[in-house]
Amino acid sequence: MDNDTQKSLITVNTDAASENPDSILNTEEFSIFYGDFEAVRKVSCSFFKHHVTAIIGPSGCGKSTLLRGMNRMNDLIPGCRADGKMIFDNANIYDRTIDVVQLRKRIGMVFQKPNVFPKSIFDNVCYGPRLHGIRKRSQLEEIVERSLNQAAIWDEVKDRLHTNAIGLSGGQQQRLCIARALAITPEIILMDEPTSALDPKSTTKIEDLIGELQKEYTIVIVTHNMQQAARISHFTVFMYEGDMIEFGKTQKLFTKPEKKETEDYITGRFG
Amino acid sequence: MKSNGLHISARQDFIRRGGELIGRSLLFSVASVSAVAVLFIFYFIAKDAFPFFNQEGYGEFFTSPNWYPTGHPPEFGALAIFFGSALVTTGAVVFSVPLGVAAAMCLSDILPFWMRQIFKPTIEILAAIPSVAYGFFALVVFAPLLQENGGFALATGIWIVGLPVATIGVVVMSDVITSMLPFRSKPAALTLGLALLLEAGVILTLFKTSSALYGMEISSGTNALNVSIILGIMALPTIVSVSEDALQSVGRELREGSYALGATRAETIIKVVLPASISGILAAVILGIMRAIGETMVVWMASGNAARIPTPFYNLLQPVRTLTATIAGDMGEADHVTGSSRYHVLFAMAFCLLLFSFAMNLITEAFTRRYRKKLGK
Amino acid sequence: MDLRTRKLLDKSFSALGVIAILFMALFLVVILAPIIAKGSGAFIFRGTVEYRKLMFDIWNRGDEKALAEEMQIVAKARKPVYEMMDDFRRELAAMPSSERRKYRRALNDVEKNIENLLGPNPDDREPVLMRQRYGQTRWDMARKHLKDVLYATEWDYSGGMGVKVYVPRQDFFTGTSIEELFPYIEENIDAMMAPRLTLYLRFLTDDSRDSHFFGGIWPELLGTIYLTLGAMLFAVPMGVIAAIYFCEYAKQGLVISYLRICITTLAGVPSIVFGLFGLAFFLNTIRVSESKSVLAGSLTLALLILPTIIRASEEAIMAVPSTYKEAALSLGAGKWRTVMTVILPAALPGILTGIVISMGRAAGETAPIIFTAAVSVGKALNLDEVFTNPSPALPWNIYNLCTEHEAVDQIRHVQFGMVFSLIAVVLFLNITAIVVRARVQKNLRN
Repeated sequence: MDNDTQKSLITVNTDAASENPDSILNTEEFSIFYGDFEAVRKVSCSFFKHHVTAIIGPSGCGKSTLLRGMNRMNDLIPGCRADGKMIFDNANIYDRTIDVVQLRKRIGMVFQKPNVFPKSIFDNVCYGPRLHGIRKRSQLEEIVERSLNQAAIWDEVKDRLHTNAIGLSGGQQQRLCIARALAITPEIILMDEPTSALDPKSTTKIEDLIGELQKEYTIVIVTHNMQQAARISHFTVFMYEGDMIEFGKTQKLFTKPEKKETEDYITGRFG
Repeated sequence: MKSNGLHISARQDFIRRGGELIGRSLLFSVASVSAVAVLFIFYFIAKDAFPFFNQEGYGEFFTSPNWYPTGHPPEFGALAIFFGSALVTTGAVVFSVPLGVAAAMCLSDILPFWMRQIFKPTIEILAAIPSVAYGFFALVVFAPLLQENGGFALATGIWIVGLPVATIGVVVMSDVITSMLPFRSKPAALTLGLALLLEAGVILTLFKTSSALYGMEISSGTNALNVSIILGIMALPTIVSVSEDALQSVGRELREGSYALGATRAETIIKVVLPASISGILAAVILGIMRAIGETMVVWMASGNAARIPTPFYNLLQPVRTLTATIAGDMGEADHVTGSSRYHVLFAMAFCLLLFSFAMNLITEAFTRRYRKKLGK
Repeated sequence: MDLRTRKLLDKSFSALGVIAILFMALFLVVILAPIIAKGSGAFIFRGTVEYRKLMFDIWNRGDEKALAEEMQIVAKARKPVYEMMDDFRRELAAMPSSERRKYRRALNDVEKNIENLLGPNPDDREPVLMRQRYGQTRWDMARKHLKDVLYATEWDYSGGMGVKVYVPRQDFFTGTSIEELFPYIEENIDAMMAPRLTLYLRFLTDDSRDSHFFGGIWPELLGTIYLTLGAMLFAVPMGVIAAIYFCEYAKQGLVISYLRICITTLAGVPSIVFGLFGLAFFLNTIRVSESKSVLAGSLTLALLILPTIIRASEEAIMAVPSTYKEAALSLGAGKWRTVMTVILPAALPGILTGIVISMGRAAGETAPIIFTAAVSVGKALNLDEVFTNPSPALPWNIYNLCTEHEAVDQIRHVQFGMVFSLIAVVLFLNITAIVVRARVQKNLRN
């Protein structure tokens, strides 16, 4: 199995190199343990700048754990530890000297369920910038407008910036969460099944938004919806029971998968 | 070190870790105030309690009913006072446990949601009324009522409680009896007749009891009965809310399993829910006991404060005196003689109360833990 | 058992439960009804002319001219009473000595009761005690004292046990000049007392005069406010911080479970033991003040409500969705920042509910303040005096007034008014909490 993983990685790398994308985040034999249980097993792959990478796989395959490992959100879970390397900007983010606050400022995250704070829309977007020391009102207003525009929600909320964000619809809340993540201008945005709690219409809006955002940001998205992965991503990682089975260009992975498991999964034989 | 902004310097790291450690220990020290307080309470109560035992020994305190702390020589027999506490607490428990557990079952399983929303605040308000207000009610409203119209009040009480409960009993009994008779089908007329017959018996019994009670004279309204009833009412909210929690924590699955086998609601509650939550309900009862035994104002105001064992010992209509009331009442005078046995004996009583409540607490903990474990929570 | 019996059993079981619930509701009504009914009598009652005179004399309230006019009318109605008594005194002087002695005693009784009802004879010297300077200020009390004027109370022992009987005084005085006095008073009592519906909301903010015979309950109310706020001042920060520690920082372990056992133990300590501890520790050991003081009482109460606040805050913090925490952390907030900017604001309504409920508890507790803070008689304290001086407080003075006061029966309205005020404060706090919580639950469900 280990040998197989190595082999597939090599194929993809040559494949990816042909278009010459820059990698921004690399994992090397990266593992995550919950106590004795190895949830992510020695994953080695790359995530490319200004591209969308989708992580797919059946539930419990470790795809969310891997994603949360990318900005050390797993630190919160007691008994959870990581092994191997996760290289970002020439540094292993699991180094002892890493400042998690700085790391999370540069790698933002959007969650499965929209988790707006019970504050005003304005304060939600400002939460990050304020944490990082921006106090000036004019500057904050500028950031709010830019972020909400980028998240394609500005027109809907510009007249009620100071009302409670809880009153927004689910789809609007999720776009507000994206705006909140954008407000601290991260380099990478991690999205953990961002549309799983939304209706089809809102899902389409978020997918369109992701298409726009990849021009400026790098996006890693976990999804259980294969059509979504095929629609929006450039690269796809397929994971199964903690192992990375296959990694490659989305088009290739979905049309000519190299591995039997991948083919079985995308043709719906399990999952 | 690479200067990509992700790393922090050793000095920064040191400051951050140091800050975290200091903050954490500050938080810890605030969080442990209650623990320190508990230790201090035990220490300071014990410190003033042991001089009493050293001066007067243990024998008299626990075995003699003669309480004459101001006599010459003083006598410090607290048996009657311990007995008074036990008596009113027992009375309160007998009064409140059946009522409280029945109410809890009703709240958790029987009433529709909106009615629960109405009755829950009722319980909270009962719990919120200050003890001195209960004491005031007991002394100013309830005691004169008992004293002047005691027989009438007791007789009415018997009717109010006895009639509905006995009627339900009669209905069930008559049905059970007819179903045991060797008929193919149950004749409705027979059941009805039997029910009427039994009901007549019940009413006759109630009538006899109440007329016996009606003629009774109560020499003092401030007695153990008064206090027991009021303490029972005060303990009710605790008993109801804790046992309701216990009943609720038995999940829907268990209930649905029982219903799916064709059990009625009563059968489900009695055979499935109650056994599963019994340790929680015991915890509720113990908390109710603690509430009753630790209560000061009501017993001080309305128990009559007579330090003697009633004759016969179960006679609730005589005045009694409890530990809490003795401490509250005597400290005002004993305070001037700090250091005397009269002062220390009150701390000895407080120490006994403290030990009792501590033991009860540990038992409750054990019970709660057991039912949580049993239900896998 | 066949199905019908089982169903019947089921129904009876439900009925038993419902009866239990109804009993609880009944208890609540039975306890609150007399307190509310009679307690409101401290605020709304029929006040007599004596009441208005009193208000004017002590607090300079009311219209002086109108009062003077009213006094004149009343004095005119009362004049025959004094005249008749004077007549009788003269008649008495002319009687043979045995008769004179008999009537003299009865007359003294009548005089005493009339003075009780109408106040001192305007021609006499002004009495020293304030309570003797005025007649009955409240109409309900005036009616009671009218009865004492008209009837003599005697005990009839013919049946073995003593039975109270009321004998009309008029019968005793038949044939004398004072005979007419009794029907006159009975018929003209309205004119002599001029009862009028009175609203006395200042019952809350007036201090008491002549140990609660007159006036309001301000010192007690203020003392309760000081004690409660003082207790909250200590207990709230400690409780909330402890809750934050337990929820967000503490790792499961021996120390934490030990701390938790301590908290439940503290919650179970009888309140009177807290009182003794306050006396032994705060007053006798570390001597926060020379004698009892509001400070010592507040500290004692703070310990008493600490477990409640910790528990309520913990529950509120636990109820904050963990996604909030994740969102804040993913935006680069540290742990403390997350707690302060996201978790605490979200948990605030729940924490406030707990705080408000324990405020009610602190306001109503008596036993802990008996030895640490409360005195029976005292003035309203200034804020700077709370560190050194004891204060009256509602719960303690309720106890005091209805057990140890020299004239328990004559100030029932003050006692009921105090209980009513205390219950109103506590229930107001609790109902606020109930409403806030209902709102929060509604919000969470949406």
